[in-house]
Amino acid sequence: MSAEPLIAGLPLRAEDVTAGYGGDPVIRGITVNADPAEIVSLVGPNGSGKSTLLKGLVGIVRVSPGRVLAGDLDITNKPSEEIARSGVGYVPQVDDVFAPLTVRENLEMGGYLLRRSELAARTERVLAVFPRLATMLGRPAGKLSGGERKMLAMGRVLMLEPGIFLLDEPTANLAPKVAAELLEEHVRQLAVSGAAVLIVEQRARSVLAISDRTYVLGGGEVRMTGTPAELSASPDFIDSFLGGGRKPAAAPGDA
Amino acid sequence: MNAFYLINLLVYAAVDAMACLGLSQQFGIAGVTNFGFIIFQAAGGYAAAILAMPPDSANGGFQRYIGGWHLPFPLPWLGAAVVGGLLALPFTFLVGRRLRGDFAAVGLLVTAVLLNLLVTNFVPLFNGDAGISLIPFPLQSVLNASTQAYQWVFTAVALLLCVGVYLFLRRITESPYGRSLRAMRDNDVVADSLGKNLLSLRTGVLVLGGAIAGLSGGILVSYITTWSPAAWGYAETVVLFAAVIIGGAGNHRGAVLGAILVPVVFEEVTRFIPSSNNLPPNLIPSLEWVAIGLLIVVFLWFRPQGILPERKRVIAWPAPARPLTAADADGAGAGAGDGGAGDGDATATLAARAAERPVERPGGPGGGQAADGAAGQVLLQAAGLVRDYGGVRAVDGVSLSVRRGTLTGLIGPNGAGKSTLLAMLAGTLPASSGTISYLGQDITGMPAFRRARLGLVRTFQLASEFKRLTVLENLLSAVPGHRGDSLRGAVRGRRYWGDDEQAAIARAEQLLERFGLREMANRYAGDLSGGQRRLVEIMRALMTEPSMLLLDEPMAGVHPNLARRIGDQLVALCHDGMTILMVEHELAIMDEFCDPVIVMAEGAVLAEGTMRQLRARSEVVEAYLVG
Amino acid sequence: MSLFLAAVGFGLVTAAVLAIAAVGFTLQFGVTDVLNLAYGAVMIAGAFLAYVLNQAGLSVWAALPVVIVACSAGSVLLNSRIYTPFKQRGASPITLVIVSLGVTLIIEFGVQALAGGTSVSYNLAQGPTLRAGGLILTAVQIAIIGVSLVVMAGVHVMLRYSKLGKAMRATAANPALARNCGIRTGRVITTTWAITGAMCGLAGVVFGIDAGSFSPTSTDVFLVLILAAVFLGGPGQAYGAMLGAAVIGIATEVSAAFIAADYKYVVAFVVLLLMLGIRPSGLLGARA
Repeated sequence: MSAEPLIAGLPLRAEDVTAGYGGDPVIRGITVNADPAEIVSLVGPNGSGKSTLLKGLVGIVRVSPGRVLAGDLDITNKPSEEIARSGVGYVPQVDDVFAPLTVRENLEMGGYLLRRSELAARTERVLAVFPRLATMLGRPAGKLSGGERKMLAMGRVLMLEPGIFLLDEPTANLAPKVAAELLEEHVRQLAVSGAAVLIVEQRARSVLAISDRTYVLGGGEVRMTGTPAELSASPDFIDSFLGGGRKPAAAPGDA
Repeated sequence: MNAFYLINLLVYAAVDAMACLGLSQQFGIAGVTNFGFIIFQAAGGYAAAILAMPPDSANGGFQRYIGGWHLPFPLPWLGAAVVGGLLALPFTFLVGRRLRGDFAAVGLLVTAVLLNLLVTNFVPLFNGDAGISLIPFPLQSVLNASTQAYQWVFTAVALLLCVGVYLFLRRITESPYGRSLRAMRDNDVVADSLGKNLLSLRTGVLVLGGAIAGLSGGILVSYITTWSPAAWGYAETVVLFAAVIIGGAGNHRGAVLGAILVPVVFEEVTRFIPSSNNLPPNLIPSLEWVAIGLLIVVFLWFRPQGILPERKRVIAWPAPARPLTAADADGAGAGAGDGGAGDGDATATLAARAAERPVERPGGPGGGQAADGAAGQVLLQAAGLVRDYGGVRAVDGVSLSVRRGTLTGLIGPNGAGKSTLLAMLAGTLPASSGTISYLGQDITGMPAFRRARLGLVRTFQLASEFKRLTVLENLLSAVPGHRGDSLRGAVRGRRYWGDDEQAAIARAEQLLERFGLREMANRYAGDLSGGQRRLVEIMRALMTEPSMLLLDEPMAGVHPNLARRIGDQLVALCHDGMTILMVEHELAIMDEFCDPVIVMAEGAVLAEGTMRQLRARSEVVEAYLVG
Repeated sequence: MSLFLAAVGFGLVTAAVLAIAAVGFTLQFGVTDVLNLAYGAVMIAGAFLAYVLNQAGLSVWAALPVVIVACSAGSVLLNSRIYTPFKQRGASPITLVIVSLGVTLIIEFGVQALAGGTSVSYNLAQGPTLRAGGLILTAVQIAIIGVSLVVMAGVHVMLRYSKLGKAMRATAANPALARNCGIRTGRVITTTWAITGAMCGLAGVVFGIDAGSFSPTSTDVFLVLILAAVFLGGPGQAYGAMLGAAVIGIATEVSAAFIAADYKYVVAFVVLLLMLGIRPSGLLGARA
């Protein structure tokens, strides 16, 4: 791996966050945090609210009540573009690149906030992290393979060297080998270079392997938290994925 | 007020009301935005003119036009309607395809502008921008057209025709065919998946609206005896749209009200404004246009449903009179229920339709024992199914069999291929290789709607109810082979399709009772909660009397208590002979209800058994954790 | 042959006017997803404003900046006060189109109420006639072509090299992701309407100059040409609109050399319906 950019990481704090899409809230009272140079993962079965939490953190879904802090800055419910300007980078699960634009143009969009003089140097640094992208700079992003696209999506965010990196199921739809490479090499490098990384994943085992800490979500709440070692040893951990023995708590309100 | 003034007013009212009714049927009921509407009225007018006129050499030959066959009344008016209707046919290519609504509307708008331009400039066709004049009154050669008596009779005929159009449109709209039009308006993709032929429905309303517009043009032409292209720029269509929007799109009385309020009132108001030589000559008409533009924007903002909004179709509850016969209870009838005693004709056709279904079908939710259901018989079988797409192998050699009367769960982590497999079984996605058979019949290449007719029906994950239809109407819209669900059937009236409807309502009632949504029957489906809408989706699938259901995540986003209730219902259905294959993520539900459960991972079947058995198997556990 | 070349000459001028109009229209659609059918109305309002100033003694060219500013401001208001509120309410695309038709009526007939319904013309000397290789054009016509080329170059530079141009392209491609890049999409949209509104005003004045005489409803037919050019190139594609303008502009005028002049717009009409029927994303758009 080539020399990594050094990022000024920011601590991320989500305090007692409740959020939803209009009717009943999907997530309730969630508190998670991630420190610079840390990889924190969020795992849990489908429907547990992982994606919703990330969307609440970046201003796509309304958080009420709750607080989100990036460093000292309160970014709760701010517009997405302001949150991005506050040093929070977000790789969504779908629609993660500008499909009609080329790879180079995607990176340029990622570097929108940079000064012209910085753009070229930053692009070089990002390409050093994802060297495969350098071979396809002129190709429209819509024509990339799954793994290449995800690398471009991450590269686009990396252009700003955000203090906090949020990733929503980056390995979804990727072949196992590509997924492994993405997590073990590229995501790990993000933390190595100083960013606070919060990653939502379905592939619990794989992401646990690179995480410093993990939160297990279920039914819209945090069910367990701990280091990968602690969780793997716990029988409850497996149960929370396979639904056995744990009935979801009845929530107030009707169907 | 003198008599001629009143006659004038009434004739214009009749013509405008007729045009607005036609437009409302297209735009308000069927959701077809025809910005070229005015061309159909114009075409009808010209058709009536050239049919009624003597050859163009007559009257000193100062006009040039085609036709001139000097036909007697009522042929010019009939011709007007026919031409208006036929003219719709070339434009169906714009509305049949999956073209964005606004793009298609623009295409029609442009056509109106250009056709007007062409007619204005091409003299031999319709005398260019001078238009045609001296058009004969109906029966002019026999009667004296300038007497008041004649004029009153003319007016009466025009009004009668307008009333006739109103009644006719009411008849076809308040029928299962009308319900299908409204369903198409609300969600055309779902209507399509329920077997509604979108192209045919839209063509139907375009032609019908065109014919009505043409007739109105013919009447107008016969009254004012002249016609010129200046009368139909595209702005005239905008006036009609304003009328329909203000009066209430989707409501026939609203269309008439709008016609009275907009074209007629506007026309009349100008008579009462004192004319003054100081004002520029165009000022009042221009301000009228400005007012119409303002009204459109204002109404769409403050009251888009119009003054008389579309009425909710409330269906009498419980369904009246006709008792359920034993045949109904078995559910052994064909697609639309038993015809009942007395209508031998109906029973014969019902029997014919029954022959389309395979003989062996378990009773649907109508209850009762499965007639000759051999429990445990294999209903659906797949062998070596593969799906390759975009360089990815989503399904990798899956074989499974589903037995009658079982509630089978299909689980697995994200990306395991569950939804893809379901879609292949249902016919919405083709298999790259492998075979599927249903009741011993090979259905591998069969399209989805055919499989549905065999009794293999799927539901969809995303919200797919028809929001502006009631819950009951949503269920009724799914009934296949309903007699009233065609234009011909609708025209023949309730006497023709009433029995089918009663049977369908009875079945729907039972389903609503069963799923606990009886009180919601007459509420708009769009007003229900997410979980309730899920139930509507399932009930709607059940209305097609399937023998096997393929459910795609029916509990997604549903409150756990409701999910449990849905699960109970599904189990009960299986006791009655239904077979269900269900993709789900809620593994707690699988525990309680499904047996067997099939686990998929990375495109292949990993294991099969009860949830308890599966949880004990390490490879299953690994699959979920590895993802 | 000379007839043909003369037609090509006319075609170039029409293409020039059309290019300015079509590029503005298509960019509005690209960032807001609205078919702003009131575009023609704003054009003619601009043309009439120039006429009024012209009658008051100002040269048409001097009136141009005033018109540009006025139409720019008007367009921004149109989007922020009318289209955006409707969109925020979840109005369907067809509702927005009907709204735009209503606005068209308000503007066009508002102008007619003030100015009367007769056709008017600018006081503008056509200048010397220049001949080049069979083409015969007046100085004014050449000026129009020149202005159009300058505007096209400016649009190209803006889209490719300026920050705003990048932000516009990002916003049109994926607004949510653009915001993730820190792009203030709200401002981008407002700025886009300001610029395209200015182009609309400019297009209106050159339309008036080229048409010779015009009335408040003259742009009704011209809108058809705009739509044909836009859909030929692909809605939302600026370069597509330029290509479409060139093709439609020249094709309509050249066809007038062969078929009766009154029917030259039929070409545009046929092209538009063909594109809608076969490939609504246009020649340069991605296949849907």
